[in-house]
Amino acid sequence: MFVMKGIAASPGVAIGPALLLPTSDFAISNQYVEATQVKQEIVKFQQALTKALQDLDASEQKLRQSIGPEYANLMSMHKMILQDPMLKDATLSKIKNEHLSAQSAIFLTLKDLAGVFDKIEDKFFKERRNDIFDVGKRLINHLDGDKSSFWQSIRQPSVLIARDLYPSDTLRLPEHQIIGFCTDFGGKTSHTAILAQSLRLCAVVGLSNAYRQVQNGDTVIADGENGLLIINPDRYTLSKYKKIQRELKRTESLLKTINHLPTVTADGRAIKLMVNFDPRTDSKENKKLITDGLGLLRTEYLFMNVPQPPTEEEQYQTYLATAKKFDMRPVTIRLADLGADKQPDFPLDEFDKDENPFMGCRGIRLFLKVPELMYTQLRAIVRTACEVPAQIKIMVPMVSSLEEMRHVRAALNEILAEFEANGKKPINKIALGAMIEVPSAAIALDGMISEMDFISIGTNDLIQYLVAVDRINPEVAHMYDPCHPAVVRTLHQIIQTAHQRHKSVSICGEMASDEKMIPMVLGLGTDVLSVPPRMFLRVKNRIRNLNFEACADMAQAALLAGNSEDIRKLIEPNTDEDS
Amino acid sequence: MITQEIKITNRLGLHARPAAMLVQTASNFSCEIKISKEAVQVNAKSIMGVLMLAAEYGSSLQLQCNGPDEVQAAQAIVALFENKFNEDY
Repeated sequence: MFVMKGIAASPGVAIGPALLLPTSDFAISNQYVEATQVKQEIVKFQQALTKALQDLDASEQKLRQSIGPEYANLMSMHKMILQDPMLKDATLSKIKNEHLSAQSAIFLTLKDLAGVFDKIEDKFFKERRNDIFDVGKRLINHLDGDKSSFWQSIRQPSVLIARDLYPSDTLRLPEHQIIGFCTDFGGKTSHTAILAQSLRLCAVVGLSNAYRQVQNGDTVIADGENGLLIINPDRYTLSKYKKIQRELKRTESLLKTINHLPTVTADGRAIKLMVNFDPRTDSKENKKLITDGLGLLRTEYLFMNVPQPPTEEEQYQTYLATAKKFDMRPVTIRLADLGADKQPDFPLDEFDKDENPFMGCRGIRLFLKVPELMYTQLRAIVRTACEVPAQIKIMVPMVSSLEEMRHVRAALNEILAEFEANGKKPINKIALGAMIEVPSAAIALDGMISEMDFISIGTNDLIQYLVAVDRINPEVAHMYDPCHPAVVRTLHQIIQTAHQRHKSVSICGEMASDEKMIPMVLGLGTDVLSVPPRMFLRVKNRIRNLNFEACADMAQAALLAGNSEDIRKLIEPNTDEDS
Repeated sequence: MITQEIKITNRLGLHARPAAMLVQTASNFSCEIKISKEAVQVNAKSIMGVLMLAAEYGSSLQLQCNGPDEVQAAQAIVALFENKFNEDY
């Protein structure tokens, strides 16, 4: 048995025989052909070019229908590269003059081109090198003969192991009996991971060298809950995972039965339960959830992996389609929280020399420096509010002062006046609120809250800033502590301040879906929880089994506690040390 | 042959979308179209060539059109830059 740790990209557990996706070896040594064969190689190259273009056309269409224009646009970029005279002329000349095989000629041409891009300093232009290699791999695949024979040879449900997967390959997995996949490359937010979630395929990515460790036919377990790949598990592990798999299935079907029931505690306290909605991973299962609204629409993704910020029209189309799904229920759109770990590809001077980006120009700070980004997004949101009956709520990230809220309010009013001059008005009044995640805003909230129609606590960042711990840094990550007395006391202070002014408080960080922390969060008086769709029913179930009075007593005790250990004991009174 | 100086006025420079528009427009003409930035000269009908310029906001480029429809080609390309590739800013 051998266990490898990767990144959990899409939940679930898949058990089955491993199937290795054949790769085209990219470091091909130079192959030369006889002079009489040159013509043949040229024909081979041209045929591969035509086939690769057809292939891209097909995936472009499929992606446009299933996922949306974002990925489809990437495909059209790849099409232009394929048709580029530089690629074609250089390759043809290498075949004709140096008698290189079509494959070697393409590879060398790509290497030359990529070398030029490597020297560019600008991050966006530099990364086009990956596009060039993607296109090259596609071409060489077609020279190798189609992969379709590989897909057709699959005889039983299998776990696919690959170095990396194209989005176009990922889309065809379910129809070929693939029950889960593991890749050496990729991260939690890579295109492939997002596709896997929407296809409900379990996936582990970022395994580094699984492709070398696994052999065809090995029994493997892909654990998409914990990001593990287990190769040739022993009998004990195998039966343990079969049990987990059965339990996951049973819980899923059990949870479905509570979907239509109200979110109230056992002693009758009603909680609003909303979803953190992501249009990219919307699925049939998610559509069935009966929610109290959209608690958090993150919009950063619209700004990432694109060479320029999204236009007003593009944003409007996304917000409109999203808001329509929620009928009359509230829809909370967060202004793009760019910066820190979410760097867009397009160049912004404001990011230069940001050596401590989490403390730097992110969220509203960036938007106030580049107001055109903020105005475009606000306009797209106001346009949406004029079209849908849902109450649109705008959430401002990274607020740390009253002035920032006033600036956004002034911009919003300016845009509303513009719309009114053209005879347009939001169907429901737009609410403007803040994400409370900076300690200064939390502590001095009483002075700022008059400018906020609602507040939402972003627990992930608030905790990180309160305890001064970067969760990405493995040296200190263990000190990131939701049970720290400072965290509990700060949450209490925020909620009390808001309630005194009759404003509602929601929590949309991971704390809201952490089954251990939910009693604390409720006990402190939170009105709204917003959780990822796949956690929705688990959280609802947890709330329905809690007693609010007991939660409130527990929270009171926690406020008096002087260290994390005591608070943890309050949360988990029956912790079994052996388990 | 027509030679003309162009300045990049859209904030994001010759990124993917503007670069693609430039290549598509250039490909509509039969004349030879070259664009250069400092010492680097590329074929305006090649997407990789145009991207290799890494031409950012504020940089100035040399446009060179040579062939039967050079006048129309130069006009069309200059118009693209002047309209900031239909970007908002």
